[in-house]
Amino acid sequence: MQHPLPQDERPSLKLLLAPVILLFAILLLRLFYLQVVTSADYARESEENRIAQRRVKAPRGLIYDRDGRILARTRPFYTVALERTTRKDFEAATAAFTRAIGDVELDGEYSRKYRTIRLKRDVDFRTVSIVEERLKADWPLLDIEIETQRHYPYGTAAAHLLGYIGIIRDQDLQGNNENAYVLGDFIGKTGLEKVYENSLRGRDGMMYVEIDATGRTGREFPERDRLPVPGTPLHLTLDLEVQLAAERALPDGFASALVALDPRTGAVLALVSKPTFDPNIFVSFQAQKDRQRVLQSETVLLNRALQGHYPPGSTFKMVSAIAALETGVTDTLSLFEPCYGALRVGRSTFRCHKRTGHGSLTLPGAIAVSCNVYFYHLARLMSIETWHKYGAKLGFGQPTGITYPGEAAGLLPSRQYYKERGGWSFGHLINLSIGQGSLLVTPMQMARYVAAIANGGYLVTPYVSGDPPRRQRIDGISSRTLSIVRKAMRRVVASDTGTGRRARLEGVSIAAKTGTAQVPRPDDDAWMVAFAPYEKPAIAIAAVVEGGGSGGARVGPVVREVVKAFCIQEGIIAPEAAEADTLLINQGML
Amino acid sequence: MRLLRRLDVPLLIATLATVLIGIIAIYSATYHNDSIAVQNAWIKQGQFAFLAFAVAIAIVYIPEKVIYSVAYLLYLVSLVSLVAVLMWGTGDATRWLRLGPVILQPSELAKIATIIALARYLSDRNTERINSIEGFLGALFLVLVPIALIVRQPDLGTAISFGAPFFPMLYWAGMRKFLIFLVISPLISVLCSLNLLWQWGTPYVFAIFIIGSTFLIHRFMRRLWLTISMAVVNISAGLLTVYFFENFLRPYQKARIMTFFDPASDPLGDGWNIIQSKIAIGSGGLTGKGLLEGTQTKHQFLPAAHTDFIFSVIAEEGGFVMALIVLGLFFFLIYRALHIASMANNAFYGLTALGLAAMLTFHVFINVGMTIGVMPITGLPLPFLSSGGSSLLSNLLAIGLLLHIGTYRHEF
Repeated sequence: MQHPLPQDERPSLKLLLAPVILLFAILLLRLFYLQVVTSADYARESEENRIAQRRVKAPRGLIYDRDGRILARTRPFYTVALERTTRKDFEAATAAFTRAIGDVELDGEYSRKYRTIRLKRDVDFRTVSIVEERLKADWPLLDIEIETQRHYPYGTAAAHLLGYIGIIRDQDLQGNNENAYVLGDFIGKTGLEKVYENSLRGRDGMMYVEIDATGRTGREFPERDRLPVPGTPLHLTLDLEVQLAAERALPDGFASALVALDPRTGAVLALVSKPTFDPNIFVSFQAQKDRQRVLQSETVLLNRALQGHYPPGSTFKMVSAIAALETGVTDTLSLFEPCYGALRVGRSTFRCHKRTGHGSLTLPGAIAVSCNVYFYHLARLMSIETWHKYGAKLGFGQPTGITYPGEAAGLLPSRQYYKERGGWSFGHLINLSIGQGSLLVTPMQMARYVAAIANGGYLVTPYVSGDPPRRQRIDGISSRTLSIVRKAMRRVVASDTGTGRRARLEGVSIAAKTGTAQVPRPDDDAWMVAFAPYEKPAIAIAAVVEGGGSGGARVGPVVREVVKAFCIQEGIIAPEAAEADTLLINQGML
Repeated sequence: MRLLRRLDVPLLIATLATVLIGIIAIYSATYHNDSIAVQNAWIKQGQFAFLAFAVAIAIVYIPEKVIYSVAYLLYLVSLVSLVAVLMWGTGDATRWLRLGPVILQPSELAKIATIIALARYLSDRNTERINSIEGFLGALFLVLVPIALIVRQPDLGTAISFGAPFFPMLYWAGMRKFLIFLVISPLISVLCSLNLLWQWGTPYVFAIFIIGSTFLIHRFMRRLWLTISMAVVNISAGLLTVYFFENFLRPYQKARIMTFFDPASDPLGDGWNIIQSKIAIGSGGLTGKGLLEGTQTKHQFLPAAHTDFIFSVIAEEGGFVMALIVLGLFFFLIYRALHIASMANNAFYGLTALGLAAMLTFHVFINVGMTIGVMPITGLPLPFLSSGGSSLLSNLLAIGLLLHIGTYRHEF
């Protein structure tokens, strides 16, 4: 590190300072010229400087269902605002305003930080005319602004899927380095409003207006304005008719969830979670109380279809059946020891739901009547590893990958899982084989699993908009096995002893599996998974009613209503035929 | 303790004062903003300042040879971060890199790393090697790699700022003045061919430059082949400039250059920034409008008030007096940096200090020049004052380095 030049040849400090001094002299001279010599001219210009930038909100993108029905739109409303004011003017103007309209509750408070103070938002036309005709003459600072508001015309329909928007929180503003949002802006908080926030929101425009000393607007400069870019519309795969049918059919007074998929693509046709809420309350300026109630209740905002964890009960038996068929533990004709209502394994007794027993059954028969003992026998010939492998192949224990915030993964227990929690014993597999034990699933996982059975072994990724994601062929599950399972599921509905008789629908052959899952609550959860039409599956459904009791009785009619709505939409059955069908039901003939 | 006694206290105090003025100016500039995030920028700046001062002080106590030995490593790390920003960067123009909770602008830190690497490269070579072609090309390569990466972001202003310390450092390292002129001459040729600068006189200015420079080169070098090739290079540089300006410059860059020369041509368009900034500064007068009282700032006529145009806020609210104080502080900082450079005990430290001084000078002149209309709008921040953590951090790092070099000046 020796210096390349001898000491005396080093450039001197003076020589280096010269260019710096020169540059600073240029700045100094110019500043002196601006601030001292010609300052008066600029002071005048600053006084006259009246062209201000105004933000123009971009309209939020609309959300449509698959037939183009609007699920979320934008509605204009009026706001009374005060522009650039002092505290004294504010108080006087506010007093005059409240006197004139006879309402003392205001939305905005005085703050000298903001140029515009919104006194009252979403006012009626009477208020608008009072302000415009009477008050504005004396209080020119008062202004009527037109704002827009999100509106969900179908209210509670698909509320959990759509989500809602709300006023942006300070934390979100902090991280907003592109300045896309300003205080008071709305932002998608949950659901698809959140997932698609970036495309739905569009880009705000900028308007340049002349303002006078009081801040009122005058001349405009259209050539300079940057127009707002409207949000991109969102087209969903959701079918509003199917969605509404499902919401109507699910019994009131119970928490419940339902997912309907197109088994061929994974398109979400309906997604219900009850109890539900009206997303309009999150944007309304009058519904604070409702909003508080919903936000404080932990049960309402939970999207049970994607975030609810349930034991699936007997609806999971097809996993055991597929594992047994694929590993050669049984075939369609083999019979095990007959069901006498219970089975003793070691020192424990495992019961069947029918105390008197089902007698001797083949695999399809056991699925049709949902005999537990038959599946206990299968479990005895299987390892938990085999059962776990097929459970995982059918998508359990992992999120389905739908683009939705906070999807739950469920729980597909392995031997390791039990070892870590008090030890493994064979009884665990006996319980798991009938969908009990530590097993937990989401309704969305169940719908995808039924879809895989229905479509001949493809694991779809559920989606709500755009092109279908790539579906994946499940290896190690043959189409022959699935065809046996489908046939058995058809018998669940078609057979007179089948547990799913209540789902029968004239003109469409439905295949299903019921489930009545024991939970640590007084009443069992009622489950049904189904697909239809049996010959050419076009809809796969999973539904659960918490504490609903028997799956067949409670959820069977729900599934049939959903399939009916779907088949009318698809033209598979005529509306009249469906009417007749309902008539027969009402007369107790079906 | 020995080290502490030798600490350049005036430099540290001047830096502190500048940063403090910056925080107050940011507070004032954002006070009336609609966005909470912007309103809180001064708090963020304060937090960053605290952190950055701690880092700067820590640098003083690094053992003497460490910086020299890690010079190339730092340079490599900064190149990697510049590549990363191109691949995973965030922001409108991808300049920022998110590392957990912090968002960094790697180009700011790369400035210092490049200066250190260049200082090491030059201090490792004797005068003869520096005056050789391969010696020069090596140094040029060190500077051009980060420039190429930053131009792609795209951030032209920052990219150009990497060139600022280059010639001063070469000169300090012993490159012959005439050789420096030789390599700068194509750049001068570019300036001479800018139609905007000379209007109808452009062909004459260009012709005079070519004739004059060719004459000079021939007189000093006395080698016909060199004279001819330099003339060819300079003429093509000029012609290419005209061609590129018409065909390759992005519209916004062209607009910025055009409005710089004639802001009145587009008072609501790209001239807006320059006009509003000049009104703000001019109307500030001798003593200013007072803190929080600048109407240009308050009513948001001033664009990017707390970042690029922070000087306009200071000059509007604090007047000519405050503007002088700020420029005085900057001059003092640069003076101390040059002083440290001339007192440094070895070439590496001297070159580093000089490079940092040149970088600081360049930023101050370009940014302040931009606000008063003597330089085009580039988006370069004003050191220590503009709101922005990465810029503050890298500038305080530079101060830390200067303090370090100053502290060790008596060691041999």
